[in-house]
Amino acid sequence: MNLSLLDPFVLAQDLPEALVGRLRSGHSTSIQFSHRGDYLASGRLDGVVIIFDIETNGVARKLRGHTHQVQSLSWSANDRCLLSAAHDWKCILWDLKDGSRLRTVKFEAAVFIAELHPKNHFIFAAALFEEQPMLVDMTGDVPIKRTLPTVPRRTEAERETISEKQAAQDAKQTTTVIAFAPSGDHIYTGTNRGWVNIIATATRQTLYSTRVTNNILVLIRVAPSGRSAVINSTDRIIRTLHLPDLSGDSGNVDFDNPRLVEVEHKFQDLVNRLSWNHAAFSSGSSGEYVAASTFMNHDIYVWERAHGSLVKILEGPREELSHLEWHPCRPFVAAVGVDSGRVYLWSILTPQRWSALAPDFVEVDENVEYVEREDEFDIQPLEELHKRRLDLEDEHVDVLTVVEPAADHANGKAAGAGDASSARAAAAQFQMPILLDIEQSDSEDEVIAVGAGQFRRKSPGQGREWMAEVGDVVAGSGAGMGANGSGTGTPLAGASGDEAGGGGSVGGGRRNGGKRRRE
Amino acid sequence: MSLLSPERMRSADGDGYARSPGSYREMEAEPQRDSYNYVASSENHAVRGGDTPDGETNLYGQGSHSYDSPEEPNGSGDYAPPSLLPQRPSKLYFKPALILRGHKRGVAAVKFSPDGKLIASCSADCTIKVWDAQTGKHQHTLQAHLAGISTIAWSPDSKMLASGSDDKSIRLWDVASGRAHRTPLVGHHNYVYSVAFSPKGNMIVSGSYDEAVYIWDVRSARVMRTLPAHADPVSGVDFVRDGTLIASCSHDGLIRIWDTATGQCLRTLVHEDNAPVVGVRFSPNGKYVLAWTLDSCLRLWNYIEGRAIKTYQGHKNLKYSLGGCFGIYGPGRTHPLPPPLQLPRYDDDDSEYNGHAGQRQDQAAQPIAYAFIASGSEDGAILLWDPNKVKGHEGAVLGVDAHPTESVLVTAGMDGTVRVWRHDGAAAAREAEEAAKEEQRRAAREVALLEAPTPTPTTADVRMTDYETAEG
Repeated sequence: MNLSLLDPFVLAQDLPEALVGRLRSGHSTSIQFSHRGDYLASGRLDGVVIIFDIETNGVARKLRGHTHQVQSLSWSANDRCLLSAAHDWKCILWDLKDGSRLRTVKFEAAVFIAELHPKNHFIFAAALFEEQPMLVDMTGDVPIKRTLPTVPRRTEAERETISEKQAAQDAKQTTTVIAFAPSGDHIYTGTNRGWVNIIATATRQTLYSTRVTNNILVLIRVAPSGRSAVINSTDRIIRTLHLPDLSGDSGNVDFDNPRLVEVEHKFQDLVNRLSWNHAAFSSGSSGEYVAASTFMNHDIYVWERAHGSLVKILEGPREELSHLEWHPCRPFVAAVGVDSGRVYLWSILTPQRWSALAPDFVEVDENVEYVEREDEFDIQPLEELHKRRLDLEDEHVDVLTVVEPAADHANGKAAGAGDASSARAAAAQFQMPILLDIEQSDSEDEVIAVGAGQFRRKSPGQGREWMAEVGDVVAGSGAGMGANGSGTGTPLAGASGDEAGGGGSVGGGRRNGGKRRRE
Repeated sequence: MSLLSPERMRSADGDGYARSPGSYREMEAEPQRDSYNYVASSENHAVRGGDTPDGETNLYGQGSHSYDSPEEPNGSGDYAPPSLLPQRPSKLYFKPALILRGHKRGVAAVKFSPDGKLIASCSADCTIKVWDAQTGKHQHTLQAHLAGISTIAWSPDSKMLASGSDDKSIRLWDVASGRAHRTPLVGHHNYVYSVAFSPKGNMIVSGSYDEAVYIWDVRSARVMRTLPAHADPVSGVDFVRDGTLIASCSHDGLIRIWDTATGQCLRTLVHEDNAPVVGVRFSPNGKYVLAWTLDSCLRLWNYIEGRAIKTYQGHKNLKYSLGGCFGIYGPGRTHPLPPPLQLPRYDDDDSEYNGHAGQRQDQAAQPIAYAFIASGSEDGAILLWDPNKVKGHEGAVLGVDAHPTESVLVTAGMDGTVRVWRHDGAAAAREAEEAAKEEQRRAAREVALLEAPTPTPTTADVRMTDYETAEG
């Protein structure tokens, strides 16, 4: 309701300008905005998932259930459920109404990414470490895992000419990234050999494959409109892709057309040869801008897509940034600091308009000669004035009817999806309960006060008492960790080529491994 | 004086008021407005229930000096669109249904819970009482504040209450258990005078005698933002229905509209007379703000254009922060006010989230509803206005609130009681028929909206005599 009062110049701004805030609760490793944009989920190094309220910058909920670093987060369409995937080989579906675990799904390998189906929060797709990707149906109490293909679909001609070696290589690929099309009918996957596949959700058949690079794909995101995607790969190039319109009847789409998916732009820094940690589309359904955090660097680069030019470099804290998210409807960017685990926020700065403070003041650009009104200083009887004023009040007022602004900013993302109205109706109904004292329960901060000005690092086990109730996890945690350590770097080590200076801190080793995996 | 018709005067005399259902009287529309016989009260009133010692209280008193006798508003105020007239009830009959006794001192504010099940009232006796809205049964007395309580607000989920007190703190209460949350919101340097919850329940805005407006994070009980809002005590604050705007008003005569996210002032509304503003509320659709001023006027502002578009008069407001609200009536009166942007529904059944998707019933086509504006008055009356007819009809009291879905009003006053008023449907229907006939005979006649017998403040013994002498 504030839109009509805001400065149109401020409203017209669509890029964030400056660092405006930071959120902290433990060491964050991955973040995700809710669809309405009022909450930010943050997965921590210790496996706790934090929901930040970005209106208050406070913690709205803590979800405890993972024992290792949280790798990926995904909100359901109505923002009531959250799927988290962590290094403990588990995915948990949370109900944010009461913070309970609706479903827990275990895998035989670490999970790179788990994304919820845009329309059904009991279905998700997961990309696994050195395993085939899965489509999981959790509707029943026992989750049904179905394997998704990784092998690219070759055209008839290619199939005849393909060499045995190539075929073997095709078979050896693993899927590293996965994302749903906004309708949920198709899944985009990316492999460690630079292939992008389109898979039908219903039949789990690969409909189309194209190779965009020879390197490992470490990120794929689909814009809410479904017509473009951004891809990050280890070749130091961020690509945006034109995607086919899959929202309608997919029978009309010619999947044999080799140019169905085409690269639109390649964003790279040729001078510094920067490589990119993470990338995101800007708000709005089409994603006019692409922002990316840089490896071994503190800045966020923003390109616009109309011409493919670099438009802004957001200066950040003195820290490398990893996971980057753009708010679904505002010029607002959140990114995770690699070393501190803080979440940094960039937004626009709105100057106070002084004329708003005194209604008879007007801001003018240059001097204006004041012309007094004919009757301005006439003396009029007070009652006359009063009466005239009341006579003017013949306007019809309607205090009940709600006029929603035409472009509903708050639902920009949902509206972009095909089912705007249903998503909005569902989204309008869930509201997370307000929990008091949630920050006092922040017992797992690494440092605790022991006296005036004295702090000590907490002993490792402390604050993890809740884990006892997890039972089976305790036993499995050692194995999980081992696999973690060995497995983490292997597929992607060359990829990002990073060894972030050894870390140095206690959690350094684990942290670095984790970061790379998400990238 | 003559706000009150002779009938009303009688009904209001002594102790016979408001007890039996028959004691209400219909009131003829045209109250004659002479000049007010304002008799400065020498009683030891606590302003809005606060414990302020006498003498300091008269912060509002200045309003009486600058007061102009109200103009007879524009005689035939009958410009409601004709198309609406057929279904529109011409009168509202609120009958006294309950009197809730228990507060030992004046009751400063009373509020229905958003789910309509409970009533909360706060008083100068340092307590908050929670009552069942249907039966009037006393549920809890909330005690923890060290001084009188001027203001309360319900959280959107009806589970929590926030209260602002003269002990400078704001407390959160769990209504189910009746216990105070252990961390009070401390930060104000003077009496807390007004509080409001954001529609999501994650923020509280408060206005204080320290002239500042604070925005609080409810979860952590900490100040998020302080707005150097005004040059005099802040007398009222409110959130707009989607939570993006905050309105504040002050004795300095200004109403300010703030952006919640940035804390910046977006608009300042000021009336020429610059009368102290003692209360502010957004309209249910968020397009207007309604402000109480100490020149006995209620003004409806179009805050986007910065214009006062309606002035409602007829009540008396020279000293206190009167309560008031928007309410609805009409054929489809079970239709709720437009809900806050996201209607919280914590109690829906969970089946949908356990896999058995249940088609949620969509909100049916909204029945026709009309708005009224209700306000208390210092002469003990409750007035209801049709927002489009600027004539006042009736009159009482410090706190007024309308049930979110039904035609029920709750009021509270200096006499320490809380009263519940229910709309008498039968009488209204009867009257509607007659009115329809009359309407045919005499078109273009202003109709009374409401008759409410006066809940007389106990302190009103003095006032009653005032009335009598004035009348005589």
